[in-house]
Amino acid sequence: MALVMLLVSIVLVFLGYQYYSKKIDQDVLQADAKRATPAKLYNDGVDFMPASASVLFGYQFKSIAALGPIVGPIVAAQYGWLPAIVWIFLGVLFFGWVQDYGSAMLAMRNDGMTLGGLSYRYISPRARGLLLTFLYIYLLLIMGAFGALIAPILAKPIAPIGFIILVLAGILAGQMTYRWKVDLMITTVVTVLIALIGIYIGTTAPAQNIVGWINGLGPDSFIHRPLGYGDMSWANFFWAIVMLLFCYLGSVLPIWEFAQPVNYTSFWFVLLGLFGSMLGIVVAAFTGSVNTSFELPAWITAYQPHLGPIWPILFVTIACGAVSGWHSLVSTSGTARQLEKETDALPVAGGAMYMEGVLATLSTIFAATFAVSGGFYDPEKGYKLMKGAGGVFVYGMAKFMNVLHFPMDLGKAIGIIFLVVMALTVMQLVLRFMRVASAELLGDKMPAFKNPHFGTIVAELLTLLIIVFGFWQWIWVLFGGSNQVFAGIALLLLSIWLASEGRSYNWAFIPGMLMYVTTLAALLYVSVYNALWKGIVQSWGQGSPGFLVGNLISAAFGLYMVVAATILLVDGLKAFGKAKAGQLATGD
Amino acid sequence: MSEQEKQSFFSKVRHVVTDFIYGMASHEMARQALKTRGSMEHLFILITMGDLLGVPILPPYYSLRLLPYVVPQVSTWKRRMLREKDLTDALA
Repeated sequence: MALVMLLVSIVLVFLGYQYYSKKIDQDVLQADAKRATPAKLYNDGVDFMPASASVLFGYQFKSIAALGPIVGPIVAAQYGWLPAIVWIFLGVLFFGWVQDYGSAMLAMRNDGMTLGGLSYRYISPRARGLLLTFLYIYLLLIMGAFGALIAPILAKPIAPIGFIILVLAGILAGQMTYRWKVDLMITTVVTVLIALIGIYIGTTAPAQNIVGWINGLGPDSFIHRPLGYGDMSWANFFWAIVMLLFCYLGSVLPIWEFAQPVNYTSFWFVLLGLFGSMLGIVVAAFTGSVNTSFELPAWITAYQPHLGPIWPILFVTIACGAVSGWHSLVSTSGTARQLEKETDALPVAGGAMYMEGVLATLSTIFAATFAVSGGFYDPEKGYKLMKGAGGVFVYGMAKFMNVLHFPMDLGKAIGIIFLVVMALTVMQLVLRFMRVASAELLGDKMPAFKNPHFGTIVAELLTLLIIVFGFWQWIWVLFGGSNQVFAGIALLLLSIWLASEGRSYNWAFIPGMLMYVTTLAALLYVSVYNALWKGIVQSWGQGSPGFLVGNLISAAFGLYMVVAATILLVDGLKAFGKAKAGQLATGD
Repeated sequence: MSEQEKQSFFSKVRHVVTDFIYGMASHEMARQALKTRGSMEHLFILITMGDLLGVPILPPYYSLRLLPYVVPQVSTWKRRMLREKDLTDALA
């Protein structure tokens, strides 16, 4: 069954690309290989610089694939694997690639403008300011959601020593490449080997004992969580601090010294884990060495009490695997300024999204195959996810790599490194951006924010607040909601531009509006129904002050995003009406 | 498929795979190195050739002495300097 699912996803990707995406590319946007792109027109060897399609495809895929396509399907599988997989396929085919490819074309045909400038030009002047504040909260939720997921994974005894040695190997890679000018091939072999030995050492008993000793220095209920979802242990708290320290270094140190070389060394383990587990599925299907039939039912329920109704929650829980606003940021800020030819936009931006759909399918397979017998979903509690979603992925990856004779512990350690690296790569970038954004937005009124350390520490303290007091699955839904609203905004911008050019726009406008309605409903469900109604009104006088404050913070995040997204929608629809009537002034 | 066509096909596949891995692993590093160099040059030209934009920092005599070395980069530098920038550019 696992192999069938993987093959179905690959066939659908091929059909969607060949018969839908290419038609839009050729008939609607009429991509022209001879038209000069911003990369060629404004080539400055820095921001604008042409690169080949295959290089950019790798760049785009690496930039968009974070924890979203991995974790979302595992959480959403609590409704059954079928609704999860159907949304992944529909999302990729009719929403995801449209947004990624459309954003790249939109930026490319507008001189390489990024989303802030585009919203100013096509929606309204206040749209840019709203978008930036919305973006700050969205990025904070990314930090909180990813951080809350990664801290307990790092606390597992087989993980930290390997991770620390990997980071040291990465720092060495930076020194070898940039200071000592050693050949990249030699640097790669030496540092990857050191990291691999480190990861193996991390799985041995003495290393696990050291981590166990650190984890045992504090109690299991180190911090009382007022939201009532179990206390935070010392181990989780300690490794959350280590993770934030790592992000801090990634944010304030020169990129070449820390973030880039560590990401580079880690990349090889991501590649190993990805292709190793895919190969494991194929081998397991043919040899029957492990059972690849699905343990999780295709359909479980339309209402999971701790999550909410399947609509709208499922559609924001699976974010990046189906459609994600983050991708439009990558497409406009990075890729659109490097595309050599207009005709490269579809294989690069659209193709990377299709490939991410396959990654999300892989994650669903892991959830459906081993996770019930592995004790992750509890059949007696309606298949509620009982442990961290990251653990499901790590366990699935280790099981399939075990088919290729990788020891289970080493497979788990590689799976953990895979997850941690995917999360921390994005978290470092996000933290760096948050620091720049706070300096830009608040620096004039509060000069302290112009200091990079101050801006970074403030962002980290806010992140820690979410990690310590937030309920992870709610935070994930809020993060998914803000992410999908961002996708809605990008699709709305695309529709306005298409209408202003007199091109067919329904292929972007309809998914955009569906995304908007669904995500606003999800954000209202979490902030108004869960946090305000159930958490504050119904619990008035029963919960502790911390419980009320925790719910108030969740409600405030959700409601701010609802208000900001609604204003953007109203302004956007006005601009869309003007664009259709040919009356939109864009300052050209 | 002739032997030559086969070779050309496999070389194309190898090229695409190599580029893809480079794109995932190293492209960002290379861009970052270029950005670092670019911002250094940006400041250097601003100090030495600022009067081209109406920001005279160095006396024109020295600017003129340096001008021949800077000429190849002046147009891209002016474009970068005067281009409208947005906060979302920082995500690139």
